[in-house]
Amino acid sequence: MESFAGKIASSDYVVIVGCGRLGANLANTLSENGGNVLVIDKDKEAFRKLSPSFGGLTIVGDATDFDVLGEDAQMGKANVVVAVTNNDNINIIVAQIAHEVFKIRQVIARLYDPDRECVYREFGIDTICPAILSAKEIEKILSKNDGKDFYEEAEK
Amino acid sequence: MKTQVLLIGGRNKAKSLAISLIHSGYRVTVINETYEDCLKLAETDKLRVINGDGTKPFVLEDAGASDVDIAIAMTSKDEDNLVICELCKKRFHIKKTVALVTDPQKTDFFYKMGIDSVVCAITAITGIIEQQAFIDKMATLVPIREGRVSIAEVPINGNAAVVGKKLWEINLPKEVIIGCILRGDTTMIPRGDTRILAGDMLVLISSDKQEMAAIKELTDEAVIL
Repeated sequence: MESFAGKIASSDYVVIVGCGRLGANLANTLSENGGNVLVIDKDKEAFRKLSPSFGGLTIVGDATDFDVLGEDAQMGKANVVVAVTNNDNINIIVAQIAHEVFKIRQVIARLYDPDRECVYREFGIDTICPAILSAKEIEKILSKNDGKDFYEEAEK
Repeated sequence: MKTQVLLIGGRNKAKSLAISLIHSGYRVTVINETYEDCLKLAETDKLRVINGDGTKPFVLEDAGASDVDIAIAMTSKDEDNLVICELCKKRFHIKKTVALVTDPQKTDFFYKMGIDSVVCAITAITGIIEQQAFIDKMATLVPIREGRVSIAEVPINGNAAVVGKKLWEINLPKEVIIGCILRGDTTMIPRGDTRILAGDMLVLISSDKQEMAAIKELTDEAVIL
């Protein structure tokens, strides 16, 4: 998270769609690092997850609506769009609208279902899949312990 | 081999479309997420029904998507219809994909994403309502490509203001031409100096939703002084 936030210049405008745990966390971090952040969620209550020091903007609305994206969120001016709602299909349509209609170069979408990922890679949309990331991470932890005795580990 | 059609989502719409397609000799498979809807759909003779989320590749695979010729996505959610059609196109290489869209603003975007045919129910319905409202002035209106171009038949009454005028004297909208005049048994392709007579049937070709303005101009009655 830190390294990603570090790469965002303070003049960059980031639009985050979906204010769940991931969206809110990302928004807080980017905002703390001085980025211009706008968060869209259809549920007003979702913005409670943002930290009190969050300095960005929030919009309550449907992020697949062209008027919400174009006029309210000024999507055209965004440098980065991140689609992290809890619905894969909404993330996909938002990412494609951002990429194709608003010509945003850096678009990231979270997809729960790794089955759909292969189809979207070719659109120039970066996808992250929590299940695959978690599996890799667990594998990494396991391979570190490989060949070592767990009791040995505990004694250290 | 029979043409295979895959319908995804939509309860009553899917059922009546399936019945009509089976009647026309197509092989039809329906995917529906709700079990109750599936039971209702399964009452239809010769219809294959699959219970599952059509936006998931494995459900489409179970439905035999690789052998399908036409896929029609008609769920109530635009994003689901987009994903279904894209999966059908990219993963299962289905030749023709059709998507229903609720938001008229998304029609062009869907075409841009490679969907072969996009049907916007709202645009279609408002078009029909508009036509019904003007039904006394117009015989038929044929919308082409989501109503971007339409062909209308307009009968000219004896008391219309345009009777006796030459075409170039009529103030028609720019996007409209009179393609043909049916007069009695003869058909003529009009020129600028052709006069409109009472009882003529005009065939209008218009784009950009200008047909209503044109029809109004042509059928408005002359003001009797």
